[in-house]
Amino acid sequence: MAQTHTDLTTVVRALRDAYGDAWSFDIVDHDMNNGRVKVTGQLRVNGTDVREAGSANGNGGLSIGEQLEFAANDSLRRCAETMLGRSLANGGAPAATPAPAPTPPPRPAPAPATTKAPEPATPLKAERAPAPAATPSAAPTVAAKPSGADLDPVTLRVIGGAFNAIAKEMAHVLYRMSYSSIIRESEDLGCGIFDKEGNELCESDSTPMHIGSLPWYIRGIWKRLEGNVNEGDVIIHNHPYYGASHTPDLAVLTPIFENGKMLGWAACTAHLLDVGGAAPGINVDVVDVFAEAKLFNAVKLYDRGQRNEEIWQIILDNVRTPDMDSSDIEAMIASVELGRERFLKLVGKYGADAVMGSAYHWMDYSERMLRAEIEKVPDGEYHAEGWLDDDGKNRDQPLKVNVTVKIHGSDVTIDLTGSAPEVETGFNVPFEGSLVVACNYIIRTLLLDEVTFEEFIPQNEGIFRPIKVVAPKGTIFNPNFPRACFSRFAQIQRVVDCIIQALAPVIPEKATGGNSASLYFISYSGFVPERQQYWMYLEVDEGSYGGRFGKDGMDSVDNLVANTRNNPVEELDMHYPLRNERYELRPDPPAAGQWRGGIGIVRENRFLSEGYISCEADRHYERPVGVFGGEEGYTGKLIKNPDTPNEESWPSKITGAKMAEGDLMRIVGPSGGGYGDPKARDPQAVLDDYLDDYITADIARDTYGVAINTTNDTVDEQQTRRLRGA
Amino acid sequence: MIRLGVDVGGTFTDLVLIDDASGAINLNKVPTTPEDPSIGVIDGAMEICDMAGVAPSDVRQFFHGTTIATNIVLEHNGARAGMLTTEGYRDILHIARHKRPYNFSIQQDLPWQRHPLVRRRYRLPVSERIIAPDGEIHKPLDEQAVRDSVRKLKESGVEAVAVCFMFSFLNPEHEKRAGEIIREEWPDVYMSLSHEVIPQYREYERFSTTCLNSYVGPKTASYVRNLDLKLKERAFRAELHLMQTNGGVATAQGAVERPVTLLMSGPVAGLIGGIWASKLAGYDNAITLDVGGTSADIGVAPEGRMTMKHLLDTKIGDYQAMVPMVDIDTIGAGGGSIAYVDKGGVFRVGPKSAGAVPGPCCYDRGGTLATSTDCQAVLGRLNPDNFLGGRMGLRSDLSRKAIQDQLCGPLGMSVEEAALGAIKILNHSMIQSIEMNSVRKGYDPREFALVAFGGAGPLQACELAQELAIPLVLIPPSPGLTSALGLLATDLSYDFSRTQIQLLSKPDIDRIATDFRDLEALAAERLEADDIAPEDRIFLRVAECRYQGQGYELRVDVTTDPSAPDFIEKLIEAFHKSHDREYGRHFTDKDVELVNVRVVGIGKIPALKTGELASGSEAPDSDALTSTRDVIFEDNGKPRTMSTPIYDRTRLKCNNRIAGPTIIEQADTTTVVPPGFVAEVDRFGNLLVKLQ
Repeated sequence: MAQTHTDLTTVVRALRDAYGDAWSFDIVDHDMNNGRVKVTGQLRVNGTDVREAGSANGNGGLSIGEQLEFAANDSLRRCAETMLGRSLANGGAPAATPAPAPTPPPRPAPAPATTKAPEPATPLKAERAPAPAATPSAAPTVAAKPSGADLDPVTLRVIGGAFNAIAKEMAHVLYRMSYSSIIRESEDLGCGIFDKEGNELCESDSTPMHIGSLPWYIRGIWKRLEGNVNEGDVIIHNHPYYGASHTPDLAVLTPIFENGKMLGWAACTAHLLDVGGAAPGINVDVVDVFAEAKLFNAVKLYDRGQRNEEIWQIILDNVRTPDMDSSDIEAMIASVELGRERFLKLVGKYGADAVMGSAYHWMDYSERMLRAEIEKVPDGEYHAEGWLDDDGKNRDQPLKVNVTVKIHGSDVTIDLTGSAPEVETGFNVPFEGSLVVACNYIIRTLLLDEVTFEEFIPQNEGIFRPIKVVAPKGTIFNPNFPRACFSRFAQIQRVVDCIIQALAPVIPEKATGGNSASLYFISYSGFVPERQQYWMYLEVDEGSYGGRFGKDGMDSVDNLVANTRNNPVEELDMHYPLRNERYELRPDPPAAGQWRGGIGIVRENRFLSEGYISCEADRHYERPVGVFGGEEGYTGKLIKNPDTPNEESWPSKITGAKMAEGDLMRIVGPSGGGYGDPKARDPQAVLDDYLDDYITADIARDTYGVAINTTNDTVDEQQTRRLRGA
Repeated sequence: MIRLGVDVGGTFTDLVLIDDASGAINLNKVPTTPEDPSIGVIDGAMEICDMAGVAPSDVRQFFHGTTIATNIVLEHNGARAGMLTTEGYRDILHIARHKRPYNFSIQQDLPWQRHPLVRRRYRLPVSERIIAPDGEIHKPLDEQAVRDSVRKLKESGVEAVAVCFMFSFLNPEHEKRAGEIIREEWPDVYMSLSHEVIPQYREYERFSTTCLNSYVGPKTASYVRNLDLKLKERAFRAELHLMQTNGGVATAQGAVERPVTLLMSGPVAGLIGGIWASKLAGYDNAITLDVGGTSADIGVAPEGRMTMKHLLDTKIGDYQAMVPMVDIDTIGAGGGSIAYVDKGGVFRVGPKSAGAVPGPCCYDRGGTLATSTDCQAVLGRLNPDNFLGGRMGLRSDLSRKAIQDQLCGPLGMSVEEAALGAIKILNHSMIQSIEMNSVRKGYDPREFALVAFGGAGPLQACELAQELAIPLVLIPPSPGLTSALGLLATDLSYDFSRTQIQLLSKPDIDRIATDFRDLEALAAERLEADDIAPEDRIFLRVAECRYQGQGYELRVDVTTDPSAPDFIEKLIEAFHKSHDREYGRHFTDKDVELVNVRVVGIGKIPALKTGELASGSEAPDSDALTSTRDVIFEDNGKPRTMSTPIYDRTRLKCNNRIAGPTIIEQADTTTVVPPGFVAEVDRFGNLLVKLQ
């Protein structure tokens, strides 16, 4: 009996027309019996699920892998027909492979697999038969994965521990070896091992924005290379419309092969100092994605082990800091080669099936644990909004961030509908590589807090499965090509903050007051004629947290999705024509609350020779919220030459502004919002705040209702009771 | 010479007295007296002298390992410290490196903010400023402000003071002057100046280390002085020496001035003891494994040399301390590690521990959670009637019940399978640590001996060795006392360093030479004060380098003199090698930057010798075999019960050879020799176990 291939394009188009991006398709089961392959898939639309089985047999000379693909596509078609309530005419055409268009695929279905013909069938549980045919923008078909159910708990545990160790080592090599301070001192990087589809097996615990973004890079690369990946390749990638987080975060990847079969990827990302954009270092006000950086879309630095010198030359000729960039890329190559080596060793010891099976088991584990926590949050739709300063060019035109968090059973959807339309500068957000990553981050952090949750839950693909992110195309969170999207940090921080605020009423003990929810990302640079190169220093100035249940907000620390280390002043002053003249807590009182908001910093840097400054930041316009009766926090400030006749107050976004020798830049970081009624704050804590010079005795009295006897530094209990109306 | 080593642990204080001349070793163990540990030390010392029949005045060396400084930090009960610092930089300790310890946590604490070493009210800024790159004075020191601040701190009840100025490593003038003023105003306050404690760049780490010094200073100084006094009262004439975290020992005076060097010194003596035992048996390369109740300390010593942690990896509890620290990995795996199945169905062992109390179920002290010791008990590895030298009975029935109730159901395993599985998981965390510290640094475990000690090390050592393909397991005669012995096997050692940032492509060789000479002079002075004869002094020179632009420097031994024409060339070459070993790559086209120079001054202590064991034949004496019992081992992944002979270690003689399976028992530990292994006794009483 001849079988007809499903015309996937028709099916997908029909679903798109009906539901936009709000649908997803997963494989839930597969079966092989009597020469017949059956695949059961589940189509989910707006919280409604439909399951249908598709099938295939070996007629027509189809291999097992091809049968699986056939059956999966069949299942999708049946699901779609059921959901749409009509038949989808099948033209009988083979699965199409159109040229890739730079649109993100629907979430959260995993990406397509290799075009290689799979091996002959062996018991399906033990082998991954890959589904062939990369069909971009189609609902990806996914083959069966070993479930790890056959592995004993001890081996699972042991292999899990090994994954962790590999990722840690990759990161260790990268940040110890690297050159640019943004990588090595700040540790602004991420490393991990991924399966062929980009599902994450393990990752280093570096900075959150890198973590969880690599799967998207891998899926983006696949669109361009479509299976043309060979042993010994080293690929670089930074295209934001093909999954990259943003252009300066370059990914270096190498495939892992065993006996000619591709098991997965060793990959890392790190922030490169300069990627040849219009302005040195940081680009905010740029006209399109071509102006913000040089774009590398799945470029092979090494092809089958052969170094491609011309590509290196092109890259380095087109960036302002070729020495730093090339050294950092070398460090990244060392990192992924190490990862590959270690992973192969593990595979050599336990066998590929056991290792991959173990990996998928751990993914299921993490998914299970997160879903259990999501279940505990009452179903419903929760809303919060915020306003960003502006797009860096059209000043004083705030941009709305509109967040709706939908909880349904053990699924979460984060819907950005109603947010500002895309902007004409680089202040747009790459959808998958940045927005999705940030949403995954906060759901995990809120519900599986590493410190308060008693078990260690590995960060892997399983964490991402219960979470869906929706942002209409053409909004700032899902821009159309070729919009620039270099500067995306402040926006995603704000989304994260809004998610916390949205859920605060139902998980008050896990939430915080408004966070600084931004950062100052500043590049200082200048041209050195003797070296014919730029000097460049990228600075991340930290924020602060809002107050939280039972504790004050954290002061002066990288906030939410950011978690880098600063550079010692004593390192900077030795190496750059800059002098730091101040670095301490800002002299303003914290936002009051039963638990006070965290305090931001003040930092002053002076240019000792002329140069340029660019800055990507936010939070100059809207203050962080206070919650449950707490006070609002404070906005940030950028001031050039403060306390002089030439003092200038600057907005949060600057692109390539000239600085003269002797010019000083003062950065004041935002302070977080308070939590709870200030009049409920423990009087001893208020006394400590006073003694530590955070507040005055007047503030203690007027805001907190605590009377302090300033002659002997004690609390006047009686007076305090009176003030508090007790 | 007669020497006495005293190691104060959490529960017990271990003492070793050795007479070099006769080779006699006396051992003693007394309970630690936490309110004043010196009480246990003195009582134990008097007792052991009695046991050995020597007078306190005959003891020539008194080496002491104390956790007093570490405990102060871990328990957050140090001195109320005050700090003078550069105006504009009041909150360096509070900001630290602005990175949270955990990525995925909103509820976490930032330890440096939650438990500050110096509270903000005692951090007083004064106007002064030294600038890069040459240490020029940009703003003069406001001496009146210094005076006023000191008075203010004094009035506030501050107990110790630190002076931390920016860039003091380039120019210590202002700190020195401030120190003089403090001495005038407040002569006997405990004081630390950052350029004296650690003259290296990176302000947060330097300030933190200096403040830590003041934080632990008063209590540690008082303990040391008090102990010293008491020893003298009891007629001990030997100079008191204390174990440091850099692997050497310091004099009482040195410990009083820089107590920060005592921090985290606990596991170091064990490593040294392990290396010494290994060398004695003829094996240079040693991996040491010290397993106690809660944690395991793992060290890797190629060619018997300890390796040092990178200065940015040295932490004391939650605080950064930039002192040279021997590289020992401590993991949460021990005899009391709890085995359980978590909510998601994952089989885990540790790091949660049942400690000593309530302890494992089989200790019958009220423990109800299955621990790794319980697993060893149900497998028959521990003697129910003769535990801890007969001092304790073992209730393996309680172990069995706990494992049955807590593990068997969720895992679908029998008691024996679950017990074997738990041991395997525990072993794997140790294996991972050993691999990380050896294989991944370019050392091949097949060239090493695994020295196992502590209460629980010898139980698992052979299984570990098998996994790692380590050819020899070495169990010292008294595994429970290896740390105390290690104290006696170490030398005096002092570190002196100086930051000196320069590119080796345009080197100022004079400056390098001068710095090495100055640092050596400081070291010599110290060793002179310790009464070390010049012929017993060794000076090691180290350069810490990196490629220009990198952030992390690596240690390089400097073996040529700066006056040699190829000095720079050799240094650069050595650095490339070091980088290659650490990272697998090096770059001959990149400029190398020298960051710090360091001198380690070593005062050699005469080598530790022990007596030899009586000789016997291959077959042990008949009275050495005490019993036979059923013990469960793993055979092809399945539990297999084997009738196993049990030996009393104290009755074994040199040359005895016992094939596994066998268990060798002694008061402070149990050695398990699985089937396929053979144990031999050497003339020093070490058990050497090899895979057949």
